[in-house]
Amino acid sequence: MSTIDAAPVAPAKPARRDSGLWYPYLLIAPTMITLTIVSLVPFLYAAYLSLHEVKYGQVRGFAWFDNYAALLTDGRFWNSMWVAFVFVTIAVPIEFMLGLVGALVLQQGVRFERFVVPFLFIPTMMAPIVVGLLWKIMLAGSWGILSYNILERFDILSETSAFASPTLALYTLIFVDIWQWTPFMMLAFFAGLQALPLNPYRAAAVDGADPVQVFFRITLPMLAPVLAVVGLLRLIDAFKIFDSIFILTGGGPGTATESPSILAYKIVFEYWEIGKATALAVLVWLVFFVFCSLFYQIAKKRLKAF
Amino acid sequence: MRTKGKLSRLRAATTVLAGLGVVAWAGTAGAWSYKEAAEPYKGTTVTILDEITPLQEAFAKLVPQFNEETGINVNYQLLNHFEVISRGQADLLSGQGEFDAILLHSAQAGLLLDAGVLAPIDDYLANEKLTSPDIDLADIIEPGWSSSSKYGGKTYAFLTWAYNSIYWARKDLLEHPDEQAAFKAKYGYDLAPAETMQQMRDIAEFFTRKKGEKLAGKALESDFYGMLQEGIKGGSTVPLLWNGIIKNFGGDLFDAEGRPSFDTPEVVAALKFWAELWKFAPPGQAEASLIDVPTIMGQGIVAQTIAWSDFVLGVDRPGASPLTGQFTYRRVPYNGEYKGARSAETEPSILILSKASKNPEATYLFLQWMTDKATQLKLAESMKGAVPMRNSMWNQTVYTDTPLAELFVAMKGSLSDGVAKPRAPKIYELYDAIGGIAQEVGLGTLSPEDGAKKGQELMLAICEKCLLP
Repeated sequence: MSTIDAAPVAPAKPARRDSGLWYPYLLIAPTMITLTIVSLVPFLYAAYLSLHEVKYGQVRGFAWFDNYAALLTDGRFWNSMWVAFVFVTIAVPIEFMLGLVGALVLQQGVRFERFVVPFLFIPTMMAPIVVGLLWKIMLAGSWGILSYNILERFDILSETSAFASPTLALYTLIFVDIWQWTPFMMLAFFAGLQALPLNPYRAAAVDGADPVQVFFRITLPMLAPVLAVVGLLRLIDAFKIFDSIFILTGGGPGTATESPSILAYKIVFEYWEIGKATALAVLVWLVFFVFCSLFYQIAKKRLKAF
Repeated sequence: MRTKGKLSRLRAATTVLAGLGVVAWAGTAGAWSYKEAAEPYKGTTVTILDEITPLQEAFAKLVPQFNEETGINVNYQLLNHFEVISRGQADLLSGQGEFDAILLHSAQAGLLLDAGVLAPIDDYLANEKLTSPDIDLADIIEPGWSSSSKYGGKTYAFLTWAYNSIYWARKDLLEHPDEQAAFKAKYGYDLAPAETMQQMRDIAEFFTRKKGEKLAGKALESDFYGMLQEGIKGGSTVPLLWNGIIKNFGGDLFDAEGRPSFDTPEVVAALKFWAELWKFAPPGQAEASLIDVPTIMGQGIVAQTIAWSDFVLGVDRPGASPLTGQFTYRRVPYNGEYKGARSAETEPSILILSKASKNPEATYLFLQWMTDKATQLKLAESMKGAVPMRNSMWNQTVYTDTPLAELFVAMKGSLSDGVAKPRAPKIYELYDAIGGIAQEVGLGTLSPEDGAKKGQELMLAICEKCLLP
């Protein structure tokens, strides 16, 4: 009887390509080069401009931190940051909560889901400029469809209009943002819910968990990465709000709705102070860099989101 | 003998006449034409950036005629007001030369002159091959042309669009017998289109009524308002306040040395008048732009306004508004209590040759053709009346024999009262600051006195000496 030599054979290492260790870098090089050109270079150039005196588009001399000092001592800059802060802290949580509730409702199954879901996408699919024009037509003082036929006719808002009132204008813009972006949040969360594994839910059902326990103990923790990423993206996007303000109020009345993006636009295209505008861009980037870094750490450690 | 003498004189006269005829023929044969002037530039393409209003949309349909006549291809691009300013200025300041000629509103001139990116056209004007002997520069509307296009002894452009504001009111209401009687009983003088600012204020107060009250014999189904003004931040709110009201009170944004002068008693008085008019305005005036104003007038809930006349052309047309034909127009009212020169907001705008243009001669020919009497007449006829840039147009039947004749008389009057903006490189920053103040004063959140004080501080923070020398 013959025996078979059954000495274990180590699995053969995949043959290293001739190109060696740099091969992976070669593969990602096109992406990295593109990103560097379209993202990093403009940013570095903006940072460069922010440290120079730039008059009428011509770089004059090194200005150290004069542009930053001018901005930080300008009340309009702080006002714009406050406007953005109020906008984000009201709009995003509401969009988040409504989106999550809507997604949970959708997940329970609604009639005509095939029609409802594309319908929900309509506000989000619209170009921001169209959204602005749409709400102008709806709420413009004296001739807006809603203003004229409801708000003014029934004396709900007879002495002013939604966009002309210094106290109401910002909240009306927040309402428009919520109208536009809640469906996006809802659908993003709904997609996340659809992707969750079923086994934990089956186990919970066997253990007799009630719906609230299921939501807080299973759904929410498993959905946390999606919630964190979508919430962060929406937050960044909301802070940069421009189009609807530009169309609906131009930053007014006074400076009641002047966001950092509107202010930056004016500084560049109306005042032609490119050094100051780039300083604003760098400062806003810095704020977000710090915020996103903190958010990332928290989401990673607490929510296991990344 | 006498017969012989007569014959010889007749021969001599015939010879002279024949000679004159030859000279005249020769003159005609060599007469200036766009076709001949454009011969060296045939086949070139020039790109023009203009802004989109009903005027330019109508003019765009005439442009192919120039292409056909000269062989120069004109790419006539239209963008909205704000894009023309931002994109046009960016092109001029960067020297990229994407456009051969760019529309400038007079307010932009200060910054661009300061940056040294505007090219004068004096050399072309003096070039007999390029400039028609019939150009008749004296016919171009003044003071709009000189104040917008001439600076430092140089001419930078022809006047292209003589935008102007006018007084626009509801004729059917002003002529209604019940309203006339009630007005006379209350104010002691006849109800008629406002000639003075004080009359405009009285009319505004008189026609501001609540739902259920009667207007021209009928019960109102919704509130009615006496006066509408542009009030949005941005747009032309500040220019209309500045030239339409402040100057009529003897005030100004700048003093003789070019320093801000927003805290003078005259400006405070003007701001009080401005705030007073807001009391009779429809809700939402603070968001009313130059487009909202004609829209609301066409809707029929306001008695009177000060508006840009070119937008009137889009409303007072058959089919455009249920109130077509029921409007009346006047030049911008003056202050009956001020003895100085009357003022109206106008915006003489010019297509300026870009320094970076690769085809300046061909572009110049097109700009000249735009301002040509024949082209202006074609434009007016195609629109049944336009906003002209030549005085000779006012006498054309298209301006006199039309239901809108009153509008054109009003335009002419306002144009005689308005000048271009002074050369302030930071004018848009100043507009932005004063625009916020104007809104706050209008909304009543800031008193006229405090508004003037705060406005002056804001202006000084932007520039201490704001005008170019």
